[in-house]
This record gives sequence, structure tokens and C-alpha cells, in this order.
Amino acid sequence: MSEGGPGPAPVVRLRGGRTFGRHNALIDVDLEVRAGERVAVLGASGAGKSTLLSLLAGSLPPTSGSVELFGEDLFRLTSGRRRQLQRRIGTVSQRSTLVEQVRVLHNVNAGRLAEWSTTRALGSLLWPRGVNEVREALERVEMGWALHERTERLSGGERQRVAIARLLVQRPELVLADEPVSSLDPVRAADVLTLLGDEALARTLVVSLHQPVLAQVHCTRAIGLREGRVVFDVPTSELDQPELHDLYARA
Amino acid sequence: MTVQLGRPETEAPARPLRTTGIRVVRRKLLTGAAVVGLVAWAAARSVPEGEVVNRGGLSLLDDLAGTALNPSFDPAFLRVVVDATVTTAAFALLGTLGALVLGLVGGVVLSDVAWDRRPPLPVRALRLVLRVVLVAVRAVHELVWALLFVSVLGLDPLVAVLALALPFGAQTAQVFGETFDAVPEEPLRALRDAGARRVSALGYGLLPQALPLMLSYAFYRFECALRSVVVLGVAGVGGLGFELSVSLQSRNWDEVWTLIGALLLLAALVELWSNRVRCNLAIVTCADWAVGQAHDTAERHPARLSRPVRASLWAIPVAAVASWWWVGLSPSGLYSERTRSLTSRLLSDMWPPALPDGGWSVLVGSALDTVAMAVLAMVLGVAITLAIGPWASRPRRGRDGSTGPLRWLAWAVGRGVLLVLRSVPPTVWAVVALLGLFPGIIPGAVALGLYTGGILARLVAEAWETVDLRPRDALRDAGVAPSVSAMLAVGPPSARHLVTYTLYRFEICIRDTAIVGVVGAAGLGRLLQDRLSAFDFAAVSGVLIASFVVSALVELVGRQVRRGL
Repeated sequence: MSEGGPGPAPVVRLRGGRTFGRHNALIDVDLEVRAGERVAVLGASGAGKSTLLSLLAGSLPPTSGSVELFGEDLFRLTSGRRRQLQRRIGTVSQRSTLVEQVRVLHNVNAGRLAEWSTTRALGSLLWPRGVNEVREALERVEMGWALHERTERLSGGERQRVAIARLLVQRPELVLADEPVSSLDPVRAADVLTLLGDEALARTLVVSLHQPVLAQVHCTRAIGLREGRVVFDVPTSELDQPELHDLYARA
Repeated sequence: MTVQLGRPETEAPARPLRTTGIRVVRRKLLTGAAVVGLVAWAAARSVPEGEVVNRGGLSLLDDLAGTALNPSFDPAFLRVVVDATVTTAAFALLGTLGALVLGLVGGVVLSDVAWDRRPPLPVRALRLVLRVVLVAVRAVHELVWALLFVSVLGLDPLVAVLALALPFGAQTAQVFGETFDAVPEEPLRALRDAGARRVSALGYGLLPQALPLMLSYAFYRFECALRSVVVLGVAGVGGLGFELSVSLQSRNWDEVWTLIGALLLLAALVELWSNRVRCNLAIVTCADWAVGQAHDTAERHPARLSRPVRASLWAIPVAAVASWWWVGLSPSGLYSERTRSLTSRLLSDMWPPALPDGGWSVLVGSALDTVAMAVLAMVLGVAITLAIGPWASRPRRGRDGSTGPLRWLAWAVGRGVLLVLRSVPPTVWAVVALLGLFPGIIPGAVALGLYTGGILARLVAEAWETVDLRPRDALRDAGVAPSVSAMLAVGPPSARHLVTYTLYRFEICIRDTAIVGVVGAAGLGRLLQDRLSAFDFAAVSGVLIASFVVSALVELVGRQVRRGL
């Protein structure tokens, strides 16, 4: 449930916006996400969902305002400190973030790169480390059989599961998922969202979705974006049809 | 070869397209007139005042031809040949590996994605410097590098390795940088977002994706390195090239033929191996590397590295160690007292640059000779391409039937002839040409033309293999005569390939004139060799700057023309 009033410090807080050239992708957003929330970001294509998630992840600096992650202003930190904060976030995206040319094992192990030294990381490409943990993570997403498979052979749904297994070994506190199910059929989409919404994966989830129905089932809070502005921010139980209709209506 | 200095990517302002028939015809006429004018100018410039054919040398040519069927099989000499062959391969391997190391480091610095598309200020500054250095390093031919290194290091095996590694490394850095930027960046982005260190993230997110392309390019570079090592023989770098120039100078024709036989064998083996590996990596033809075309590699993913590739990957480190030992490479020569003092003396002699004796007129005259030689060489090269290229394209089965054995025979013969043309180094072609012709533009152009023809025809033939035949088949289905439908549907793309590669090779040819110049043909290369042997190093750097300007100008014009295609 979204908690109003004083509560735990926000996991992530965004104030400001982002422009690309003359295009205002996000305008005057003031958004806080608290620990334990399951936030769905809804909106038509081009409404600013991906920009919002990139800003929260710290992979894109805002053109105005600031991003506070775990209480610290992300773009005022040294890059080393920023990296330490970023390793507490896990990302999943619509386009596969897996490398096709290597085995699933390495793609899952990539979740541990932030805690590994460079030599250990590169060494593991030749002599894999932590195989047992990787196997356990894969088994939890029902992909145990794929440990030594080459990633390019997997289907879209299988790849998203492997991406989730990567998060399982990374153990982030916050998961940011950018349209993780937009290319999946309804059954697989529901499976992947169930895995993403699992408390054991991360306490907090922000996920952008195209189908409001999925938001109602898997999330506790819904944010509507339209042309770069937040048009509603409500508990999913209060989502209603007119609001959604406005959200997707043509300008 | 591309120079990428702030390439303007701005889109043309939207304006109504007005391509009329008159404009097309006018443009074609203008282009045609320009080409004819250029060739006519080059031909006029190449006509010497005196005689062209050296009658005195013809008997020598006769001797050379006479021994073709009687190569030397003297056991002592065969031992020399085997040693030289191994040395050549070893130098090529070490030079290529050096170039790959330089290319990998340079490629990461030049790549945008490796720096999260926001390179920090020091990296941006380093990059700017690096780009300028790379262009300058590449503009100087391997042979010239070798001559300069020889004057500092003496006859050290380092000369060969450095002379290959520097210019090739500069080219490789450019290609690797572009490769890194061309693969999907989401995986790398995700790892960086999750806090991974830069090098770890590159190792997991970028390198595996770029690796097949990089390997394929490495093998292509190895083929090029092999040809270059042989050319470097003129500068005293050991191996087949060196033995060739010794035997040519002492006019032991039978030995020349043995050496050429060994050279062809080595080149053929390496090309077969490299082709096999590059095919298995399922990437691109040499032709694509040559002009640096961006490619969609998503079409075909081999399930895993094939056996030849894996065997090669195991064999290469072993071969590298063996090569190191065989040529007796020792980096101590780099920082010895003698090297240091010679280097500082060379640099102080070279600076400030000066005009050669005779001043501007000699320098400009040599530069024009260089361009004329390259133009004539390209004419010969294109003629060879048109004559042999169509046969050297892998026969493709029509829809209706199979290809006859005669066509396959023609293919094998065509490829064989091209292999001979490009494997015999242009220095040897030039020495042979200089037996029958008096020094000047023409022997140089003949030598370069034969060599360039061997390379150009192969590139074009491989590109022709990829031309889409479906439009032709569609025309045939519509009842158009086979010859007409081939001309309409296959002609334009084939012509386009020919023009693209000709322009590209022309840029290289300008650089390569240095090679035939060194053995006495004409142009800036000859002037350079002349000044080098007179120890007139101030003029040497003057000539180097002139050749840099010429190749930069040709590259700029070539790029404009290519973009307009």
C-alpha cells in the first residue's frame, strides 16, 4: 500500500524533469517511492515511461532537479559512491539486457559484477565461479536446465526469466523494470510479473506496463504519465476507467 | 580507409527533390569527363622524354622467363627458403598481434559506448590527440616506417614487428572502435546501471558481442600483414621478401622462382585458413572490412565456435611464443642507450622539415608523379578486375540448373591468377618491370597495377557474389531476354561495387606508390628513398609531410565521391 504522510525514508525520489533537445520528455515530476511499494507506471508510448525509469536508475541525469537514491543525491556523488548505490538497484528492460553470445551462466553471474573485483570478474569468464548459486537462482525461475545453454537459443520469455535470475544473485533492494512483458504472451507475462513482484526478489518494485489489468493484479500503486506529466498517482484499487481512457486518448 | 574527424552527420535540409533526366545525364557526362580527363592527364604525364623500353634489359627478362620451369632445388638453398618462409609467417603473426593489442586499447578509447556515451574530459582530450596520431601513423606506409626504424634500430627483428604493428594498429583501433559502437549496447548499459566496474562490464557486456567480428577482422589483418612483411624485405627485414630482393639483385633467376613458389604456397594456405575461419564466424567478406561497411550481424548466429576457429584459438598463442623465439625478438633494443641517442639524433635531424634539392618544383613534381602513377595503376587494376573478376566470382546456381564444371574451372583459374598477382609483392613486380622499362612512372604504374588488380578483383568478385539475383529472375519470368535482364538487374549493383572498391583502393594505391618508389620507379617514394640514402633527414620529413598531404587530400575527395554514390 502506498503510505501517505511520514513513513520510512523514500527509496528513491525524483524531482525535476528531462529534455532531449527541444523535446520535453518529463516535466516537473515530483515522485517518491517508499520501501515495500509495488509501483506501476502507465502511459501511452512516448509518454515518458522509459525516461522516468532511466532517471530513477541514475543512467540518465535529469536536465533539471535531482534524483535521490537511498537518501543521497545521485549526481552529486563521486562515481565510485554512485556505483555503490547503483548496485542496490536491479534493472530489467523490454529489450534483452542479456549478451547472446555467452552461456546463461555468465549472464546470471553478471549480476554479481558490482561486488566482484575486475580480475575476479574477468577470471570467471574463463573459469566460472559461484556455479551453485547460479543454478539455485535459475531453478527458482524454473530455468535450471539452461545453466550451460547459449543465451541466443532462448525464447523471449526464457530470457526475461534469466534476467530475473540475474537479479536474484544481485539481491537488489529496488527493481526497475521497463516494459518487461511487452513482447510476451499473456500467460508468460503474468508469470514474469509474479516473479518480479515476489518479495524475495526485492522489497521495492517500479515497473512500466502497457496493460492496466496487470498493474491492478501485481502492483499496489499506479502512476499515469501523459506527455511527460504525471496525471494520476493512486493506489491500484482506485484505478478507474475514465482515468485510463484519458491516459491513452489521443491528444 | 576512413578518416573520422568530426564527420558532419547533419541531415540535409528538406527541399523538394528535383531529379530530372537532364540532370542525371549531365551529372554522368561530367563524371565521365572528369575520369577521362584524369586518366589522360596521367598518361600524358607518364610519357618520358626518352625511350620507354629498355632493350638492354629485355635479355634479362628472357632469362627470368626461361628459368620459370627450372626453379632451384639446391638443398642448401631450400633450407634458406624454408627458414625464410617461417620467418615471414612469424613476423606477420607478431605484427598482427601487436596491432591487435594497440587496436583493442585504442578501440576502447575511441568507442563511445565504453564510456557510457559520456566520456570524461581527460578521455575526450586523449581521444582528440589519438585520432590525429592515428591518421598520421596510418598515412605513412609500413615500408617507410620500416626504413625509419632500420635507421634507429639497425637490422633488429623489432623493426618488422613495429613497422607492421603501428600502421595496422592504427587502422585496427578505428575498426574496433566502430565495432564496439555498432553492437547492441543495452547489456552493457544494464551492467553499468547495476554498478559494475567499467572493465568488468566491458568484459561481460561488450566484448562477447564484438568478439566474432574482431576475430574475423584479425584474420583479415593477418592476410594483409603477410603481404606487407614480404614488401618490407626491401628494407632489410628478413624473410621471403628479403631473400627475393637478394636473389633478384644477384640475378639468380632460378632462386627467384623457388622463392615465389614458396610465397604463393604460404599465401594460399593462409588465405584458405583465414577464409574458412571467417566463414565460420559467419560475418563478412574482406570486401566489407576493406570499406568499413556497417553490417547487420544478427542474421546468422553459429551455435558455437566451429572446430577450425577453436583450433586456431588454441594454436595462435603457441605459434606466437614460437614466433617470438624463432625471430629472437627482444624488446631491450627499444630502450638501449644506442637507440635513445640515435632516436634523438634522427628526430633532431628531421626537424625542421626542409625542401629537397630543387625546392618546390621537385617536391610538387614528385607529388604529381605519385598521383599519375596511382591513376594509371588503377586503370590497369580495373582492367584486370573487368577481365578476371567475373570469372573469379563463385559460380552461383541459377534456379533452373546447376553450374557446369567448366565454370568452376574458370573460377579456380581466375582465383589462382589473382592470388599470384597480389601475393608477389609490388616491389618484385617493380624490379621486373624495371628490367624491361626505363625508370619512371610507367614501370611503377605497371607494378602497382598488377598488384592492385589482384586485390581489387578479389574484393569486387567477393562483393559480386552477394548481389541479389532475384530482380534478374523476376525480369526473366516476365519474359525479358536473359542478357537484357542481367544487364538491367545485376549491372547497376555490380557497377556500384566496382566503383566503391576502386575508389577505396585508389586511396591505398596512393600510399603504396611509396613501395615502388623505393625500388626506383618514380614519385614521392623515390624521392624519399633518395633522401634517406643521402642521410638528408630534414628533406625526408619534408617528403613525408608532402605524402601525408597528398593522401589526406585524396582521402577527402574519395570520401566525398563515395558519399555521393
